[in-house]
Parts: sequence; structure tokens; C-alpha cells
Amino acid sequence: MINLQDIRDTARDMLAKGEVRTVIGYRRGTRGMLAEPAFITDPAQADDLVWNPTCFHNLSLYLVEDRKFLAHLRQNPGAPIGIVAKGCDARSIVVLMQEHYFKREDVYIIGVSCEGTGVVDERKLAPHLNGFQASDAVFDGDDFVFTTAQGEKRLPAREVMADRCLECRIPFPKEHNLVFGEDKTGRQLAEPFAALKRFEAQEGGDRWNFWSHHFDRCIRCFACRSVCPMCYCDECVVDSITFPVTSETSAEEKANRIRWIERSATRSENITYLMTRAMHLAGRCTDCGECERACPVNVPIRLLNNKMEREAREKFGFEPGASIGGPSLVASFLDNDPGDFIR
Amino acid sequence: MSEQQDYEPRIVAFLCKWCSSAGSDLAGVSRIQYPANATPITVPCTGAISPMYILSAFNKGADGVLVSGCHIGDCHYIEGNFLARRKMQLIMELIEFIGVEPNRFRMSWVSAAEGAKFATVITDFVNDLKPLGPQDKLKRAEQA
Amino acid sequence: MEKILEKKRIDDWIKALSDWEVHAPALQDGIWTYQPVSGAIRLDHPNTNQSPKGFAFPQREIFFSFEQIKGEPPKLKQVLPKTPQHAVFGVRPCDGRGVPRMDKVFNDHVEDPYYNARRKNVAYVGLACNKPPSPNCFCLSVGGSPVSTDGLDVQLTDMGDRYFVKAITEAGKALMKAADGMFSDPSAAEQKQLKQVHAEAVAHPQRKVNDPDGAPAKLKANFNSPLWEEMARACIGCGICTFLCPTCHCFDINDEVQNKAPLKGQRVRTWDNCQFPDFTMHSSGHNPRENTGARLRQRVNHKFQYFHENFGMHQCTGCGRCITGCPVGIDIVTVVNKVTEHAG
Repeated sequence: MINLQDIRDTARDMLAKGEVRTVIGYRRGTRGMLAEPAFITDPAQADDLVWNPTCFHNLSLYLVEDRKFLAHLRQNPGAPIGIVAKGCDARSIVVLMQEHYFKREDVYIIGVSCEGTGVVDERKLAPHLNGFQASDAVFDGDDFVFTTAQGEKRLPAREVMADRCLECRIPFPKEHNLVFGEDKTGRQLAEPFAALKRFEAQEGGDRWNFWSHHFDRCIRCFACRSVCPMCYCDECVVDSITFPVTSETSAEEKANRIRWIERSATRSENITYLMTRAMHLAGRCTDCGECERACPVNVPIRLLNNKMEREAREKFGFEPGASIGGPSLVASFLDNDPGDFIR
Repeated sequence: MSEQQDYEPRIVAFLCKWCSSAGSDLAGVSRIQYPANATPITVPCTGAISPMYILSAFNKGADGVLVSGCHIGDCHYIEGNFLARRKMQLIMELIEFIGVEPNRFRMSWVSAAEGAKFATVITDFVNDLKPLGPQDKLKRAEQA
Repeated sequence: MEKILEKKRIDDWIKALSDWEVHAPALQDGIWTYQPVSGAIRLDHPNTNQSPKGFAFPQREIFFSFEQIKGEPPKLKQVLPKTPQHAVFGVRPCDGRGVPRMDKVFNDHVEDPYYNARRKNVAYVGLACNKPPSPNCFCLSVGGSPVSTDGLDVQLTDMGDRYFVKAITEAGKALMKAADGMFSDPSAAEQKQLKQVHAEAVAHPQRKVNDPDGAPAKLKANFNSPLWEEMARACIGCGICTFLCPTCHCFDINDEVQNKAPLKGQRVRTWDNCQFPDFTMHSSGHNPRENTGARLRQRVNHKFQYFHENFGMHQCTGCGRCITGCPVGIDIVTVVNKVTEHAG
């Protein structure tokens, strides 16, 4: 069991001593039970920090933002930035360091173990609350306890947990400066890639029906890209900001420009976007599942990422975010990589 | 002839400059007969092919995409084709995963000396593509 | 025109609307969306995931197509939408209030033929909210009401086993006339019940913008406040808030080229979003709204200040979608309250 006060005390001490310049963590939001990202710079605010089953966000995203901001200001980081990280979040931080986005000493990882549980999936929770809104959520052993206008509701965590957490193999931030909670690596609440396997068993031969339906539904709000710490490209293939259009730009010139993906949220363009994203995340995605949670129209994006993760694991023995010095998936190879498909 | 047999698939072929592109030249100068369905795009190395190229080719209406380079061990840049092997495996799996016929993507190793092999690769690819008909799953829809 | 319709007859009414393409909220893939009606409908939805603004202002529409053979002048062909008559059922009052706001935007100074061609063929059949359908509702704070008829053509009120059906516009009357025999006249008791249901609806507690009337001036005064950056610190710059909003109307225009020789393609309009970093990006690389704080300020000020200055009303209709949908907890009610309190 994690004692929240320990996290707060750590943050307060470190800020007071100037060991970190900010602590990125979670605080209580203004929408019912939901936590939101918090950026604590004043030691007096350390008591705002919370740790509960609604701490979904992969905060390593904000390390990327911070880095971009410093680069923009042409400033050196100075003191490291403190960050509260779950197992998957810490693996994302490792991938970012593998890619030399920042150095190990630039970040102070305050690890939190998810122990026997994980974060809640609001979509799974809703039917349990009889239409009531939860105003609070807390961990209690292997249960989650929610507070609603009807009183307390205790639910076994695995009934309302996000799929990504059920399938998680390493619910512990291996890379950390400090860690709270027990290491329960090896726990298995669901078999790895359970959702993917369920999908493969269900859809049988008619994958295209399933995917074309979902590709049609994407509204291209880019929440999946924006919420992803790995989607840090300064310029995404879908943004056409390299090529300005002026009154002098001729039709022919426009026609000859490379436009990988049109702005229109039509099926073909959505496919190209989502598939490109899946490819770019191969070997980098640590399955924090934020893209699928953020999606306002429930496109099952995680399946694409899981598929890539499983291929990398089975075909190349690759585990994303395993170690800072480790290779990256598509910039490395083994002599005996499978090649039977090549003629 | 039925409509199916009339249909001529369009192949976008990404050929490495050092081997497969030279191999296709050899097929030409050796006067080997093979179907004219492939539009070759020469790239410096298969390792330089972004999966984006493949998706984009399908997006713009290719019925099939071929990636061809030097045999393992023969890469001009030592390891480019090793990198390509991984990337292409992943994109192939992904395309199949969403329900696109796996036969629409193909990869081959064709050296500069293998003009005959190049002709075979193209012939086989065309024969495999014909029964699939036009690719309209990933293709940008035509509008009025 | 005020009538009573037995609940079980609503499907018959829809069947009688053979001249209209009828859409109603349906639960699909875990979200409520407007779907073409086939078979029975259920009007027990919370609020739809996306607002119904797409009926008049779709996410993508073609303006004109172009063709050019090299050396010849280009040929342009305007593509005006030819949509059938739509009847959209189950529109919540906040979304109804979005309609006149969109009408203003697309008809102020310049009349938008594309918007208007679609808009004239859409009739909105509203459903009063007997209780707030979302925990983030705040229509009462922005001049609306759970029983508002603004922007609607017909208003339905759920009264147990009956609907109280009220035609607001001529288009609404036409919808009711198409099934004349199904309706009965409301009794005095039913009139009284309606008043009571509406009074209860308005009395339900909602989230609250504390000083909506003072907001325009206070937002203006706080334009340079450091609060913006602080509040937008978590913003990830996605398009959820604007794409789900019933009144966000910004768009982008692009030429989509299909064929290079001969040149062939279309000019299309697609939704755009002020929260994307490239929304205000200049070709020089300079970006006047270069951080999330400036972009959040734009969105909030547009809703509560600029629109108010232009049209004398808040653009926000209090549906709460942007609050519910935000992946990182940015809450427009909290934002407006913080800024207005800061000035006060």
C-alpha cells in the first residue's frame, strides 16, 4: 500500500531543497473523482498531490513539453524535473532517454507501483454506478472504493480496471530514483495481449469490416497523438506546415508537393494516419494506453499498437523501454531476424 | 475474356539503386519478357524506405507494392537491408492485421546479376495480384 | 401548436415522416451519436458524444472541383450541397441554442451558401432535459435552460408515458402535420403537468459559471494574466474540445489534388481547431499564439468575450462536452471562474 503522505513529503522536501525545479504529479481535478496533471513548484502546494485509481495520465509527455519549451527559450534545464511515474510511464521515460531526448540526470523519477491493481476504466465503471457520478476514488488492496451520492461503492479492481492494466506484466517502475509501493512484477491479472487475442478470435476472417468501420469513425482530433509521449516529432506527417500556400503559389506547384495525408477525415486518410502512427510507435510504445483512453469516439487504437508490440516481441525478442542503453527496434537488427517472407 | 483477366494491376516497385534497379536493367537488356505493370522508383537503399512510402503508395492507388534490394550480406551500405527486413516485416504484418490482402505487399532480394529473377518476381506478383482485383481499401476515394 | 403524443407512437410518427431523412441518437461503439433511424428509437440518451452541428456544417465538404489541361485555363465547377430534408430527433436544448449561434457566424456580413444550403433542410426536434444529462451541464449559467426552445423546430418534453410536443417554427409544424392524426390536444391537466416538469427541470442543480455577465469585461481585463499559462499547463493541444463543441466553427480550406496530369481535384473545407499549434502558424515560422496558454485563452475568450462583443450573447451554450471529453481535465467552468474571480 502506498502512503500518499510519503509522496507529498518527498515532493515538498525536494522542492524546498531545490533538488528539483518542478514536481509533475497528479492532483484532484474539478470534474468529479478525476485526477488531473499537476505541476508543483511551490513546496507549500505539495499537499495537492494525490494518488488514486484515476491517475491515468502518462506524465512523461510533459517532460517532452518541458524539453521543447527549454529549447525554445534556449535555456539549460538546471535542476532536474521530478515526475511521478507508474510502471508504463517509467518505461516511456526510458524510451525517451534511449532516444536521447533528455539525460538521466535531467529527471528525477518518483516511482509509484501499481501493485495489484492499476487505473480505472471509466467506460467499464459507468454501469456499476447506476447513473451516479463518483466524487472520489481510492485504492484499497485489490479493490477500488468509489464515493457517490448513494454512498460508498466497493468494487474488485479487476472488474473495472483498464485493459492495459489487466494485461500489464510489469506494474512497477524499474527505472526510478525513489519508489513507493511493492514490486509485483509477474502478477498476471489477464494474459498478455488478452484484448488483442480476443479481437483476433472474434473477428476471424473479416478484419476489414471491423477496421473500416472504425477508420470511418475517426474524427482526426489527434488526441491520440497529442496525449502520447512518443509522438514528439516537431512536425507530424499530417501537418502541412512546411509548405506555405501564398497567393503566388500556382496550382501546379501545389499539385507537385508531397502531401502524405490530406486534412479531410475520410477513411483513406484516417487509415494512413493511424497506420503511420502505429508504425512510428513500434518498439517505442510502452502500452500506457492513453491514446485509447483519450479517444473521444472509442477507436480501438490500442489494438494496433499491441499488434506491433507483439510482433516485435515474438519475431525480434524486443521489449520496449527495457533499458536506457538498449537498442531501438527499427534502428537495430539481428543477423537471424526472420526473412522467410522475402522472395 | 472476362473482366477479371482484363484487369492489369498497378505495382509500385521500390528498387534499391545498387542491386534490384540494376537487376531490372539487366532484365531489360537481356530482353526477358515480363509484364509491364510495375512502376519502378529507385531508392538509394531499401533501408531508406520509410513504411510511409508503402502506405502512401496504397493511398494513391497502387494495387501492389514491391520492395526489392540486395541480398543479405551484399548491401552497399553494409546493413541497410537488415534494417529494411525488420521494418518491412512490421508493415506487412500491420497491413494484414487490418484486413488488407497480404499478397498486395511483397519483398524480394534481387542482385544486379539476377535479371531473370527480377522478371520472375514481377511475373509472380502480377499473377498473384490479378485475382485480388483493384485495391480500393486504402485508396483515396475519387470524388465528383 | 401544442399537442400530446403517446410515447409508444413516436416510431409511428417517424415512419410518417417519409419526406424527411430522420436521424436520432443511438448508442454505438460505446458512444451516443446521431444515426439514421431504422426501426425503433429511444430518446433516453444523456447527450450525444458530438453535437449535431455536422448536419449543417459537416467536418468535410467540397466547395468546387477543378480541372486543368496544361496550357489551357482551369475549369471550375461549384459543388453546392444537395441534401435531402433532415429531421434530427433528440436534440438537447444546449445544442439547439448552438444553431442560431452558427447561423449568425455563417450569415454575418457574408452569407455562406454551403452552410445555408444544408441548414435550410434541417429541422431540429428537441428534447427538454428533465434532469441534467451530464454532470458537467451548465446551460443555466450561460443564459440557456434545460427547457429552452431556442434554435429548435419542435420541442418534446418527456411526461412519463407521453410527450408534450410543441411546434416552434413552421418547419416544426410541417413535421407534426405529416402525422396529424397521431397527436391529441393537451388537457388542462397536461398543460399543468408540463409547467411542473419544466419547473423541476430548471430547479435541478448544475455546475455554475459564477459571473457570466461580468465575464466579457473581466476576460478582457485579464488578457495578459499569467493565469492562462498556468491553467493551460496540462493542455496537450488536441482537438477534442472544439470538435465536440456545438458552436466551434473554425475551418480550414485545402486543395486536394487527385491527379496531376491532367490536373484534377477539389477545394475542400474541413473543421479546424484553435488548439492545434499550427492553427495560427505563419509561413515565416512565427506563431502569434505560440503556447497553450494563448490558445486556451483564445478558445475561452471567443466563447465568453469576443462572441459576446460581436453578437451580444455568450457563444458557449453550456453542454459540458469539452469538460467531459478533455483527456487532461481542463474545465471551462473552472477556467472562467478563476479568471473572473481574479479580476474581482
